[in-house]
Amino acid sequence: MAESISRSLRDGCLEGEHAPALTIEDSLACPLGSHVFDHFLANLASQIADGTSQARGLVLVALNRSPSFYIDLLRRKGVDASLVDKWVRILDCYSDPLDWKDRIPPLMNVQKPSTRENVSFFRDVRDINKLLSSVLDLGKGFVGQGKTRFAVAVDQVSNLLRHTSLPSVAGLLNNLRSNDQISCIFWLIHSDLHEPRVSTALAYVSTVVASVQPIMQLTDEHRSRRDFLWLEKNSCKAKFYVRLKRRNGRVKLLAEELHMDQVGVKFAAVTSENSFVNKSLLPKVQFNLQLSDQERVDRAKVVLPYEHQGNGEAIQIYDGRRSLSDDQKDPHLVQPSTFSVMTDAQATSGNGEIHYIRDSDDEQPDSDEDPDDDLNI
Amino acid sequence: MNPSPPPPRDPDLLEEALGLGRGGSPPWRLAFVEDCVETSGAFVLHHFLKRALSTEGDGTVVFLGLAQPFSHYDRVLRKMGCNLSVQRNKNKLHFIDLLNLEFLGERRLSNEKGENDIEIGFMDLYNRILRSIEAIRSKDYNGGWTTIIIDDLSHLEIAAHGSAKHVLDFLQYCRSLTSEMDCSLVILNHEDIHSSDEALQMLSHLDYISDILIKAETLSTGIAADVHGQMTVIIKDAPGGLIKKLHSFQFKVKENGVEFFYPGSRF
Amino acid sequence: MATAADGRLQGARSANTSSFSRARSSPSAVLPSPPNPGVKLGPNGATFVSSGIPDLDRILGGGFLLGSLVMVMEDADAPHHLLLLRNFMSQGVVHRQPVLFASPLRDPRAFLGTLPSPVSSSKEHRQRDTLVDHNQQDQEKGLRIAWQYKKYFGDQQSSQNHNRDVKQEFSNDFDLRKALERQHVQYIESMSIQDIPHLTILRDRCSNFLSGLPRSDGGNLSAGRIAIQSLCAPQCGYAEMDWDLVAFIRFLRSIIRSSNVVAVVTFPTSFLLPAFLKRWQHLADTLLSVRAIPDEDKDMAKLLTGYQDMLGLLHVHKVAQNNSQVPTVLEASTFSLKLQKRRSLVLERLNQAPVEASSGTSYSTSGTCSGPSKGSSLDF
Repeated sequence: MAESISRSLRDGCLEGEHAPALTIEDSLACPLGSHVFDHFLANLASQIADGTSQARGLVLVALNRSPSFYIDLLRRKGVDASLVDKWVRILDCYSDPLDWKDRIPPLMNVQKPSTRENVSFFRDVRDINKLLSSVLDLGKGFVGQGKTRFAVAVDQVSNLLRHTSLPSVAGLLNNLRSNDQISCIFWLIHSDLHEPRVSTALAYVSTVVASVQPIMQLTDEHRSRRDFLWLEKNSCKAKFYVRLKRRNGRVKLLAEELHMDQVGVKFAAVTSENSFVNKSLLPKVQFNLQLSDQERVDRAKVVLPYEHQGNGEAIQIYDGRRSLSDDQKDPHLVQPSTFSVMTDAQATSGNGEIHYIRDSDDEQPDSDEDPDDDLNI
Repeated sequence: MNPSPPPPRDPDLLEEALGLGRGGSPPWRLAFVEDCVETSGAFVLHHFLKRALSTEGDGTVVFLGLAQPFSHYDRVLRKMGCNLSVQRNKNKLHFIDLLNLEFLGERRLSNEKGENDIEIGFMDLYNRILRSIEAIRSKDYNGGWTTIIIDDLSHLEIAAHGSAKHVLDFLQYCRSLTSEMDCSLVILNHEDIHSSDEALQMLSHLDYISDILIKAETLSTGIAADVHGQMTVIIKDAPGGLIKKLHSFQFKVKENGVEFFYPGSRF
Repeated sequence: MATAADGRLQGARSANTSSFSRARSSPSAVLPSPPNPGVKLGPNGATFVSSGIPDLDRILGGGFLLGSLVMVMEDADAPHHLLLLRNFMSQGVVHRQPVLFASPLRDPRAFLGTLPSPVSSSKEHRQRDTLVDHNQQDQEKGLRIAWQYKKYFGDQQSSQNHNRDVKQEFSNDFDLRKALERQHVQYIESMSIQDIPHLTILRDRCSNFLSGLPRSDGGNLSAGRIAIQSLCAPQCGYAEMDWDLVAFIRFLRSIIRSSNVVAVVTFPTSFLLPAFLKRWQHLADTLLSVRAIPDEDKDMAKLLTGYQDMLGLLHVHKVAQNNSQVPTVLEASTFSLKLQKRRSLVLERLNQAPVEASSGTSYSTSGTCSGPSKGSSLDF
């Protein structure tokens, strides 16, 4: 559940373990990932501000949206601005990711956007090692050396992947996770911008994978991404699937419904569909098609209904109520016409019977004749 | 040039859909205009151009002309009642002629920073946009809204020799401009050239960063004298976000403007 | 460029009065012909040259626009694009316009030997031209006059007058059976693009051709023509060069945009990836395609009038709209390519054949895009 994700981000990691890492993935069919990211970001920031979390600060790597957007966002979500300044550092990879701005003549007359104290520029997203050390430096800058930990959020891995290779990005995330100063880490990825293996690689290095999926499953027809009318119907709600790798080695699969409103996202329990999720958890149970020797012998003994016994005895017809093995040879059974006509005596022996009386003698028992043949509608 | 009647006083459905207030800043930053071979979406750019330079709003425009020369736009806009040459002299329009733009290169080895001619070319282009904004805002600047218009993204791709990565990097810088310089970006792109998987990713990328999509399509019955095509305007709540509103109507392009109307409301 | 050319032409116009003027649908387009008969002013400051097929000129609203890129999608089987290329170049030769021809043929000169020469009885056609937009009755009268005229003067106007005569035409009918004389063709610059691994050579030739054009010819607007045959054909060796090719087309488009040149590029579509095919189509100002027509197709013969005479089909996908935002809406976009009197190319609108046993003549008369192309009325 969303709450349990928040909790695990808040609680951070145990000594000697890797920090919990959350992958949020979405696609254009349901582009709510950034809202989900914002939700957890704001949650964590307020927990840090309250001092309830293990992390004592947050480093946000902003690749997709401007730092001012995030400062706005946190204020909107009710986190005290002064506390934001104090506990949140933003690494701005959005404004100048390739270091163009330093290499062109500076602008005259145009006022530069005011830079904030807690925002620092990063100008070379191609250099993953530098990015790693910048993040760590920023974090150490405000939590200091020692045992205190900080959280890291990367607002969009997709942009990073454009500049570097998948192994180096996965390496970066893993290095951050395993760093003993980091309490938790989470990131967003648009899965449809990459090959499937990218999502799986990122899922591999994370402990929680939250994927936002449309309520209605995509069919191939819809997959032609431009089916907007369909999208619109689907837009304010989404499925929120969580795959939580627990410390004890179990995997918890959860599904929630996600609603979008003016303020942000809200999570609600799904009413009846947990079974649907759990189905995929079950290992494939197979039917046992092999028989043991004993079973094979037993099977050979079974007298099949309607089968001529072939051992000189009278023909026995199984009536569905009695096992032939109980040696009760009812004389009626020998007569082929009586297998369905029950005498009163027989009726007492069972609880539920079907009484059937032939209409006339010209109807042959078991005849193929359609009884409704003479109906003339 | 055709002596056509004065523009009808129909409500301008496109204007309504875009939610543009008079003169004020638009509530969006990055709009993509998508068209196809059968129906050109260039008239939407003309619309934006005229709107931004109209006397009511004191907007300014930086225009990256990759597909057509200035003379073309000059003539087209003059028929719409907007004199681009005058606007250019008034420092309200900066037309960057990129008809011949080509970042010849790629065959040259990248330098140690992994850059090549294409990236340097894009950096230079970014610089030219910046200079234009600088020039616009240097003298007599009245604080009007600046719109950057790129008249054909596919030409940028060609100039970049198909390197989608570089195009996206360039767009990233343009995006950052919109927040730093308070301006908006209108980009024409062709939807139908993106049919392979790789190219679809490009389109998805654009989807994620835009907050408005304006699609010009042909009617399934083809182009007709009275209805030139159909337009869908998709307004998102945030770049790459949910669809907030969806408008659909038909249009007829005329020399002095475009008529928008709801299907069936014309006859 | 358009404004400059405009002014120049208008200046020149006052000095020269042309012998006749054409009526066109748009009133703004009623401008006297410029002194150079090879070019014609159209609306929006546009200048046309003829495609070499009078019917195609009419369909496109005047001809090929100077400064525009015309792309022709070839049929995989039929060489109809060559008909367009030949007429396009021959028209250029007749108007003494510089022509550059690039072809994947080993010897492009040999192809130039097959360029058609103009039909000599040009008076008649000119007469027809002027009358095309008038009503049927007028036209027939006019034609009768033309026949008379021809009877008395036509034969005397033999080959020495022929050249002068031809020059005054904006567009000619060409006799596909009669090749243009060698001495006319030799001015065509030609090059082979076979086995040239880099497009830079073609680029250089194109830009040299453009820079070699006379800027202005004594007040006359001089036009040039570039014809490129089967760009991206497999024998060119441009495999894996998708982006180079599309960059070349963009380059060509941009250099001719500011010049008085029209370029016609034909290309086989089947060698292009779908996404690139779309890119090529977007880059074209005017986009045409030619298609083969199935031979001896009984169904089609029943369905279409004049099926027997059809060579193939021509489809107009896009008409250049330089200096305007209004798309050109054609009444019909598919035309049949036919040979008139077994020698000159005409285009006709496709018409459904009248149902058998009904007279149905109204169908065919109202439908054809050019009245005189009904061969019978002209046969004498």
